Formats: sequence, structure tokens, C-alpha cells
Amino acid sequence: MNARMRTALPLVMSAAIACSASMAQAADLEFYFPVGVNAPAVATIEQLTNAWAAQNPQHSVKAVYAGNYEETTTKALTAAQAGDPPQVAVLLAIDIFTLIEEDVILPISDIATSDADKAWIDSFYDGFMVDTMFDGKVYSIPFQRSTPVFYYNKDAFRAAGLDPEVTPATWDEMVEMGKKLTVKDSNGNVTQWGTRIPNLGLAGAWLFGGLVKSKGDGLSTDTGTEARFNTEAAKASLEFLQRLADEEVMAPGGITWGDTPKAFLEGQAASIWTSTGNLAFINENAEFDWGVGFLPGGDGPGAPVGGGNFYIFKDITDEERDAALDFVRFMTTPENQAIWSMATGYIAPSQAAWETPEMQAYSERLPQALVALEQMPHAYREFATFQRARVTQYLVDAIEGVITGGTDAATALAEAQEKADEVLGEYR
Amino acid sequence: MSDGLNRIAFATVAFVLAAVWGLPFLYSVWTAFHPEKYSANFVWNAPLTLSNFTEAWQAAPFALYFLNTVILIVTVLVANLILCTLVAYAFVRYRFRWAGFLFSLVMVQLLISPEILIVENYLTLSTIGLTDTIIGIALPYLTSAFGIFLLRQTFLTVPKSLDEAAQMEGAGAWRILWTVYVPLARPVYLAYGLVSISFHWNNFLWPLIVTNSPEVRPVTVGLSVFATVESGIEWSLVNAATLMTTAPLIIAFLIFQRQFVANFMRAGIK
Repeated sequence: MNARMRTALPLVMSAAIACSASMAQAADLEFYFPVGVNAPAVATIEQLTNAWAAQNPQHSVKAVYAGNYEETTTKALTAAQAGDPPQVAVLLAIDIFTLIEEDVILPISDIATSDADKAWIDSFYDGFMVDTMFDGKVYSIPFQRSTPVFYYNKDAFRAAGLDPEVTPATWDEMVEMGKKLTVKDSNGNVTQWGTRIPNLGLAGAWLFGGLVKSKGDGLSTDTGTEARFNTEAAKASLEFLQRLADEEVMAPGGITWGDTPKAFLEGQAASIWTSTGNLAFINENAEFDWGVGFLPGGDGPGAPVGGGNFYIFKDITDEERDAALDFVRFMTTPENQAIWSMATGYIAPSQAAWETPEMQAYSERLPQALVALEQMPHAYREFATFQRARVTQYLVDAIEGVITGGTDAATALAEAQEKADEVLGEYR
Repeated sequence: MSDGLNRIAFATVAFVLAAVWGLPFLYSVWTAFHPEKYSANFVWNAPLTLSNFTEAWQAAPFALYFLNTVILIVTVLVANLILCTLVAYAFVRYRFRWAGFLFSLVMVQLLISPEILIVENYLTLSTIGLTDTIIGIALPYLTSAFGIFLLRQTFLTVPKSLDEAAQMEGAGAWRILWTVYVPLARPVYLAYGLVSISFHWNNFLWPLIVTNSPEVRPVTVGLSVFATVESGIEWSLVNAATLMTTAPLIIAFLIFQRQFVANFMRAGIK
């Protein structure tokens, strides 16, 4: 060891020690989030992330708006593949299989191991935890979750001679009441349809999952390798949609998701099947007496759940990982769930959140919000498999083929099943 | 007589096309200036409002986004004009080995959609540390196969005799480019500039993916906040935001309309 090195070494070592001391705690987090509801959501996210940063001055967090769900997933995957992943992101719950296949996320149950951590994971409703699990591990934490409910115009019910406090519970009742609710003008043109179920695109497939659930089946399972399209339940569900159009309860042909709340507000539909995420919007804009009920079901109630969860990414430092976990825990405290739920209309995913004074006051002010919660035990996971985008598209094509093209339900579903099996076969 | 009929037929077609093009625009103006409940409800005395614009303006830091978009498109346009001109000039004026092959390589690039390259481009930017910068957004677009192609075809139409005359007068390669080729290609430059500006003004996915900070993001990212599919679409807000973000382009077109049209006509006649 020469003289120069001897003097240099202590210097380097002390510098290294000083450096690691300041690094021990600090982490700079990047948090990607999508926006699916009206713009104030961005402000609320920022308010919550700033509150966490204020409590943890050694850390910093940058909330990065990343477009809609699909764009956020693309962005997160692109960044992860380039070795530059965000530490935390809110992505679709059903993207779990894609994220596992790309090997970019950490199982949260592997890093949240203390008793307090376990109690936290257990605090969420089971209905929202089903799609966070794979192979016995929890991969995500519920955050912005939603489920569709049946919104109805009480004034229209009264005008049709129906009890405004009773919603149709079964498909038969839906058809029967829907016929009374459909109003035509003197020329025979329909001015108000009995109900409106979006049936196009991914939203159509989402609601379709609820119909299938109400017939006692599910479109996918927790293995991620099974699509169950060619079933009696799926066939009955598709036939129900056709029957609504045939019996003039619902407009024939394709029905879009985005314009559904508006059709309700403008009186073109006496009832609609759409997300709880619309509660605030409809509450602000409805000029009539309205209510919310369970979705009418085939054999019993049934609904899909949807929305986004927190994921923590791989290839991050230990400090970042600990900070990310702490951040997710902070964002999902009962108080913060309440703030988020009230700002956006998403369902707070734990019992504790609903017991906070703020949520109590909120549900008194807007009792319709409670209906979704009561419907939760009847809800089933949204369709999710490996290669989700492709496989879901087969289902969408089948539904749209029947609705708009007049294809036979059994044929369309069998074809979708065949294609799905071909894709999923290699994952089994 | 048939001349008059022709004129009437042309006018009718023109009006129909104008209406097809103009109606969505008129609809967005209507909804943007009225409360949400009049968005599909056309009543003449519906109350006018500017609140959609104020609400939209506050939903994202639009002033900053506008500045970023302007910096972005100016950077891209200036780089494109310089680089494409030089490349096209070389292809037209010099005979060199592999020229045909190189030009077809440039053409092949036209077949590749930029979306396919997002991951690779991100990787490159992240290696050189340029993610989350405006220059990073611009980098993959600094030169353009379309621009090279367009200018090469235009330069080819320049009569050889003009070039030779300039050479006789003792003009060098730079001077010939600047005094002969560029002035003759002016309409093409204008057309290309228009296409390039509107493309980069509208570009969304790439800037969204490659940036994280509001300080470098363009207007389209701000606009996308309003595309809230989950909770129904509020057309008045969406359209107010859209009008606001496209206004500079529309105003610029109205101001320079005469030049645009004149130049396109001239380019077309050639």
C-alpha cells in the first residue's frame, strides 16, 4: 500500500459512510396513476401524496399522471423494461397476470410481513381481494374500485304506475317492468327506453360478467389460464340482452358506455346499469327523483367489480421498497380511503373506512352510495387471464356479433371459447 | 348554360363538404359555451357561460403545457427543415455509391409506425439520460423520412439548367441550395411545416410515456385528463378544453389562410 492510497483510503471510507448514512432512510418515489373519473381526482391524488411527503420529510414522492388505465400500464411496462420502473403505480386489478408474466411486480404479501401489515391486508373486503391474489400471494392492494348498480328514475316509475321504491330483482321482472317504462310518441317512436345496459367494448364485457355471475357462473378463475365463455350461464346472459331488445325494453343494437349517464339524465332511459363512479355526477345533474338498486339478476343478484389497485415494482432499492410500502399503507388508511371515495365515487374497499365519521355523514347525505356496498357479497372478479387484452377481445367480439350482427349466441360463444383456449393453452 | 349548372353543382358539393367538416366544430363550440345540460339540447335562448373554460383551464397547468408544446414543435420543425433539406439535396445533386440503397432505407422507415418503437426509443433515451426532457420527446422526430422524400421529389423538379447557370456564375453548393432550390420549394416547405406542426401538436402517447413532470409535458397530456371514460363524458368540459388547446392552430390558420391556400394551389398546379 503506497502513501497516497493510505491517506486516500480513510477519506473514501468516511465519505462512503457519510453517504450511506444519509441514504439509509431516504427514497425518492415515483408513483404513476391513471384518471378514470372527472378531473378533481388529480387534485385529490396530489393532496394525498403531499400529505404523505409532509409526514415523511426524509422521502419524496412524485405523483405522475399517466393517462387512462391502458396508457398507464403501457407507460409503467415501458419504463420497467428500460430498467427504470416507477416504485408504485395504480393499475387495473385485472392486469395482475400481465404484470406477473412480464415479471415486473413484487408480491406485497412477501414484503408486508409484520403482524400490523397482515392485519392491514386482511382489512379489505374479500370481494376486492379475490383479484389481487395469484398462487397464494397477494400482489396488489385495492384502491379505486367500482361496481355497477341499477340507477332508476323514480318519477318515470311513478308515471308508469310502478312502485318507486321497488326495483326489478330478476331478469323477468326487468323485462316486465321495462315494457311499462318504455314510452312511445304518437308516431310510434320510442322517447324513453325501459333500461340501458352498455354492451359495446370492454365496458360491455365488464357488465356481461355481472350477468354471468347472476346465473351462478364466472367468466374466469384465479388461475389466469381459464376463460369460461361457452357456458350455459354465458349463453343465457347473451340471450337476455337480445330479449331486452326484442321486447322493446332496450334500444336495439350497440349501446355505448360513455353516453349512458347522459341518456339517463336526459330522460331517454328510465333506468341504466352503470358504475358507482357516476353517483356524484348524477347527483349533481339529475333534475328528477332517482334511486339506486341491485342489478337485476338471472338466478340471484350478481355484479362485476372493476377498477385499479396499488402495485409495487421490482428492481428498486430496499429503501425505496420500504418507503413504497409505507406510502401504499398511507394511501389506504381508512381516513384516506374515505377522502378518495367521497371525491371520486369509488367504493372505499374496507369496512373501517365506512365506519369513519366522514363516510358515515356521506352515506347519510347520499344513501344511494350504500347500495353498492350491500351488493358487494354478490360481486365477482372482472374477467382476467394471461394475454387479457387478446382474450377479452374475443368475448367483446362475441357479444357485439350477437347484439349488432345477429349472430347466434351459442355459435358466437363457442367460437370465442375456441380462440381463447388456443391462446391460454400454452399457459396451462 | 351547362357552365351555370356546373357551378351550382360544385357549390352544392362544396357546401355539403363544408357542413360535414364544420358541424362537429360548431357542436363543440355550442357545448363549450353552454352548461352541460344543453349539450344535446339545442335551445336558442340557452344561457351562455364561460365556466367550462375556467374549469378546464384549472384542471391542469395549461399555460405551462402550451409553452412546452411550442418549444417542442419549434425544435422539431427547425431540425426537420435543416436536416431534411440537406439530406434531400445530397440525394438529388450528388451521385454517390449506394445512393439508391440509402434512399430506399429512408423509405422503409415510412412503413414503420412510431408506436412500435416506443420501448426501444425509451431505452435509448433512458441510457443517455434524456427521459423526462423536451429534447427527449423531440429526439426521435428530429429528422423525418417523409420530409426527405417530399423535398427530394421537389428538388428533382428543379430544372438542371438553373443549377448549371448558377454554377457558371461561380456559385458554390451552399449558395445554389440557398438561392435556387430552397426558394423554388417554398410551397412544399409551407405544406410540410403545417403537417409537422399539427402532428406534433396532437402527439400524445409518446410524450406521455417519456415524461413525468408537468414542466416538460405538452398540451395533449393536459387535455387527456378530461377523457374520463369511467364516469360518463361531460361534453361541455371536454369541448371547452379541446377548443382551448386547438385555438392557436385554428387562429394561425385563419390568419395565414390566404398564404396557405395560395401556396397549396401553386404546389398543386406544378
